[in-house]
Amino acid sequence: MNLLTVVTFLPLLGALAMVLVPRDEPSQHRALALVVSLVTFALSLGLWFGFDASPGAPEFQFELMVPWMPTIGIGFHVGIDGVALLLFMLTTVLMPVVVLSAWKAVGDRVKEFMIALLVLESAMLGTFIALDLVLFYVFWEAMLIPMYLLIGIWGSQNRLYATVKFFVYTFAASVLMLLAILYVYFHDGGTFDYVEARRALAVTPGAASWLFLAFALAFAVKVPMFPLHTWLPDAHTEAPTAGSVILAGVLLKMGTFGFFRYALPLFPEAALQHRNLVAVLAVIGIIYGALMSLVQTDMKRLVAYSSVSHLGFVMLGLMALSAEGMTGSVYQMLNHGVSTGALFLLVGMLYERRHTRLISEYGGIAKRVPVIAAAFVIVTLSSIGLPGTNGFVGEFLILSGTWLSRLGGSAVFATVAALGVILGAVYMLLLVEKVFFGPNQNPENHHLPDLSVREGFVLAPMIALIVVMGLLPGPFLAPAKPAVDRLIQRFQVAEARLGKGPQVGTAVPAVMVRAPAPAPAAEPAPLPAPAPVPLQQPGGNY
Amino acid sequence: MSGFPIQDFVALVPVAILTMGALVLLMTEVFLTSGRRAYQAYLTMVFAAAAAAYAAWMPVPGNVFGRQAVVDSFSAFVTVVLCAGLALSALVGQSWLNARNSERGEFYALALFGTAGMVLLGMATDLLIAFIAVEVMSLSTYCLAAFLRRGKKPAEAAFKYVVLGSISSALLLYGSALLYGASGSTLFSLLPRGQGSALYLAGIALVAGGVAFKIAAVPFHAWTPDVYEGAPTPVTAFMAAGVKTAAFAVLVRLFLATESGSAAMSTSLGTVLSALAVLTMIFGNLLALPQRSVKRMLAYSSIGHAGYLLVGVVSAVVAGARDKALAGLLFYLAAYTATVIGAFAVVGALERRTRGDFEPADAWDLDRFAGLARRRPALAFAMAVFLFSLAGVPPTAGFIGKFYIFKAAMGAGLYGLAVLGVLTSVLGAYYYLRVVLYMYFLPSKDEAGEVVLSATSLTIALAAAVAVVVLLGVVADPMVRLAQAASAIIL
Repeated sequence: MNLLTVVTFLPLLGALAMVLVPRDEPSQHRALALVVSLVTFALSLGLWFGFDASPGAPEFQFELMVPWMPTIGIGFHVGIDGVALLLFMLTTVLMPVVVLSAWKAVGDRVKEFMIALLVLESAMLGTFIALDLVLFYVFWEAMLIPMYLLIGIWGSQNRLYATVKFFVYTFAASVLMLLAILYVYFHDGGTFDYVEARRALAVTPGAASWLFLAFALAFAVKVPMFPLHTWLPDAHTEAPTAGSVILAGVLLKMGTFGFFRYALPLFPEAALQHRNLVAVLAVIGIIYGALMSLVQTDMKRLVAYSSVSHLGFVMLGLMALSAEGMTGSVYQMLNHGVSTGALFLLVGMLYERRHTRLISEYGGIAKRVPVIAAAFVIVTLSSIGLPGTNGFVGEFLILSGTWLSRLGGSAVFATVAALGVILGAVYMLLLVEKVFFGPNQNPENHHLPDLSVREGFVLAPMIALIVVMGLLPGPFLAPAKPAVDRLIQRFQVAEARLGKGPQVGTAVPAVMVRAPAPAPAAEPAPLPAPAPVPLQQPGGNY
Repeated sequence: MSGFPIQDFVALVPVAILTMGALVLLMTEVFLTSGRRAYQAYLTMVFAAAAAAYAAWMPVPGNVFGRQAVVDSFSAFVTVVLCAGLALSALVGQSWLNARNSERGEFYALALFGTAGMVLLGMATDLLIAFIAVEVMSLSTYCLAAFLRRGKKPAEAAFKYVVLGSISSALLLYGSALLYGASGSTLFSLLPRGQGSALYLAGIALVAGGVAFKIAAVPFHAWTPDVYEGAPTPVTAFMAAGVKTAAFAVLVRLFLATESGSAAMSTSLGTVLSALAVLTMIFGNLLALPQRSVKRMLAYSSIGHAGYLLVGVVSAVVAGARDKALAGLLFYLAAYTATVIGAFAVVGALERRTRGDFEPADAWDLDRFAGLARRRPALAFAMAVFLFSLAGVPPTAGFIGKFYIFKAAMGAGLYGLAVLGVLTSVLGAYYYLRVVLYMYFLPSKDEAGEVVLSATSLTIALAAAVAVVVLLGVVADPMVRLAQAASAIIL
C-alpha cells in the first residue's frame, strides 16, 4: 500500500462511513470526524519523517503510478516533493483543529457538515499529490463542491451570493486551464503525466505564453491576486469559521502552489516573459489588501483582505525567481495558513460569544478574556512578522530575496512591499487595540467567558507552530530546498535558452555565503544547483 | 423485397424485438386490464434489454439492404444506449403515471415504437431509410407528448411539436429529393457525387436543417422549451435522451459519408455545423440562465448540450481526429442519457399535482426544490449529482464526457470551438448550481400536504442513474473502451 494514497483517501473513506451513522447522533458524527482527521494526521507524520530532503533524493517521493483511465490517457500518478509535503502536512494539521473548532459552532446538519469537511480534505490532499495533469484538475475542481456547500449551508447572512460568486469565479477561471492541459497533451507526445509533460513539452513561444496565462488565470483567482480577488472577502466573511480557516489555510495556497508546481516549471520562458506583470499585480495586491484592511469594520473581512496582502508577498517572492525569495514564499504559505487560520479561529470564538463580527461592538475585553487576548496578540505578532515568530522568517526572506533578485526594478518592488509590512502592522495592531484594549463600555461585553478547554486544544497547536516555526525554521525549510533548487535550475536552463542574459537568481553574488570555493565573478555563469540560502536566520540552521 | 437475403432481416432483429414489444404491450391493454399495471414497465424493460443484448452480443456487422443500412459497432452502441434510455424512462414513467392514475400500456407501446425508429435511425445509411426512421420516431414522440392531455400545456406542446416537426420532416424530404437529383442516389456514400452543384448545396442545407431541428440546434430550437415543458415529464426525459442520441447518430453518418476526406472546415456542411455549434452553445446556455421553471431550464440546457455534441461532430471530420471525436460523442451521449433522464425524473417527482385538469404555471418552479435536502436528502443528493454532471464538474460522467469531446476538438485543432465550449459551460454551472442552491441552502416553502412522489420504480431508476453517472466519472475506462470500439464506423 502506498502511504501517500492511503492518507489522501482516508478522509473520503471516513466520509463514506459517516453516511452509515444515524442522522440523529451529532455527537457521533463529530467524534468520528475528529478521529478520522486525527488518524489522517498521525499517518501523515509517516510521510513527514519518511521524506528524504537530501539533494540526491528523488524529486517525488512516495510515488505511485497506476493506470486509471488509460484509454483517455489519464493515469493515477501521485507523489510528493518537499513543497507539496509541507502543504500536505499543513492540511492534515489544520483539519482536526477545524473539526474541533466547529464542535459547538455547527449544530445544524452536523452529519452533512462533517462529510463535507472530510470530502474536502481528501480533495485538497489529492490536489497536492497529483502528478497527472487531469488528476490534478479533477481534485482541483472536486474541491469546489464541498466548499460550495460549506459556505452555502452553514454560512452567515449573505452566504448565497458569496458561495455562488466563489464557485463561478473559480470554475470560470479553471476551465481554460483544462483546455491548456489538453493543448499540452497534444504537444508533449500525448500524455497527461506531469513529469513527462515537463520534460517533453515542445510548444512555440507564442503558445507557451498563452498556456502560461491560462494556467496563471486559474491560479491567480485562487491566490487571489489583484484584481481577481473580489470573491475572497465575500467568501471568507460569509463562510462558517471552519470554512474560513480552510479557505485561508489551504485553499488559497492551492493558487500559489499551482504557480510553483505547474505554471512556472512547465512554461519557464513564458513565466520570465510575464514575470513583471505578475510581480506588479502582486505588489498592488499587497498595498491594496493592506489599505482595504485598514478601513474594514468587520473583523472577518479585515482578516480576509489581509490575506490578499499576505498572498501578494508570496507571489512576489515566487516571481523574484531567487532561492531566497522562493524559499520565503514557500515558508510564507505555511505561515499564512497557520496565522491567518488562527486569526479566523479567534474571530470565530469571539463571534460564538457575541454573535457579531463588528469591531465597534467590542473594546476593552482583554480583562474579561485574558487568554483569548494573549493568543490574539501572539497571532497578530506572527501575522505582522515580528522577529521570533514564523511571519518574520517568511517576510524577511521574501523581501531580501526580491531586493537581491534580477527582477527588473527589484528594489522598487521590495520597497513598496516593505511599505505593505508597515501597513500590515498598522491595521492588525489597530484591530487588537480596538477589540481588546481601551475601556470596556459595551455592557454585553462585561460577562464574556474566557477560553474553554476545547478552544484551548484548538489554539494550542497553532500557537505552538507559530513559535516553533519562528525559532526553528530549519526543519520546515529543509524539505522545500530541493524543490526550490530544482525550479531555479529549470529557470537557469530557460534563461540560457532565451539568451537574454541572466534573469534568475540573485544579482549580488557577493552576499552569497557559499561553503565551497566561491564562484568566479563571471556574471552569466549559472549558480551552482544547490544554491544555499545565504541569510542567517535567528535560530535557524541556515 | 424478396431480393434481399435473410441476413439482412436478421440484422434488424433489435428493431423487431422492440416492435414486437410494442405490440405485446398494446395487447396487454386488451386482455389484462387489471388496475395494477406496474408489470408493463418491467415488461418494457425486458424487451429493451433483449434488444440491447442482441445488438451487443450478436451483431453481424456489415451493410444490409443494398447498403441502405448498416450494422456495425457504432449502431450497436447507439442501440444499447437507446434501450437503456428506454428502460430508465419506462421506470420513471411508471411511477409518474401511476401517481396520476393514467398508467396505460399504450404509453410503453409508443415508447417502444419510438425506440424502434431510433434504433433504425442509428443504422440508416440512406436518406429514405433515415426518413422512414425519423418518421417512426417522431410520430411516436408526438403521441407521447400528447399522452396526458390535461390542460393547455400538453395540448399546446403536442400541437406545436407536430406542426414544427412536420416542417422539419418536409425539409428533410425535400432536401433528400434535391440530393437525389444532384447525385442520382439516396445512399449517403454516393451523395458526394453531386458535390459542386447548387442543387447539392441546397439539398445538404435542407437536410441539415431537418436534422438540426431534431437535435434542437439553434436556430431550429424554438419548439424545444415549449414541447419539453409541456410534455409529460417522463416523455421529456425520453425525448431529451433518445431523440438526441438517434439524431446525432444519423448526423454523424451523413456528415462522415459526405465530408470525409475533404479538408477540415473547408466544406459546406462542416462550416454550417460549426456555425450551428457556436450558436447552439451560446444561445442554449444564455436562454437557460433566466428560467425559473427547472423543467424549462433543463429544456434550454439540452440545447446547450446539443452544441457540445456538435463540436464533437465537427471534430470527427478532421483527419486523424475522427475516432477520438466519435468515441467522445458516444461517451457523451451515454453519460447524457443517464444524467438527463435522472434529472427529469427528479423534476417529475417534485412536480405539483392539482386536482383540476391543468398543470399550474409554477409546477416546476425553483421554489419546489427549496429545502429538498431536508425533506428528502436522498432525492436531493441524486439531483445534485445529476446537476453537477450536467455542469461538467468532476468526478462525474458529465465531466469525462465534456473532457473527451473537448480533447477531440483540441486534437482536431478546433481551438475556437473548444474555448467557446468551456466558457459557455461556465454559464451552465451557474444555472445548474442555482437548483443545488435552492435544494440545499434555502428553507422549504411552506407547502404542507405537498406530497413528493415516491415509488419503488422511481427509486430503482434514480439509483441506477446515480450509479452510472458516478461510475462513469470515476472509472470511465470500460465505457470509453466500448465507445472507442464503436467508433469503428462503417460508412
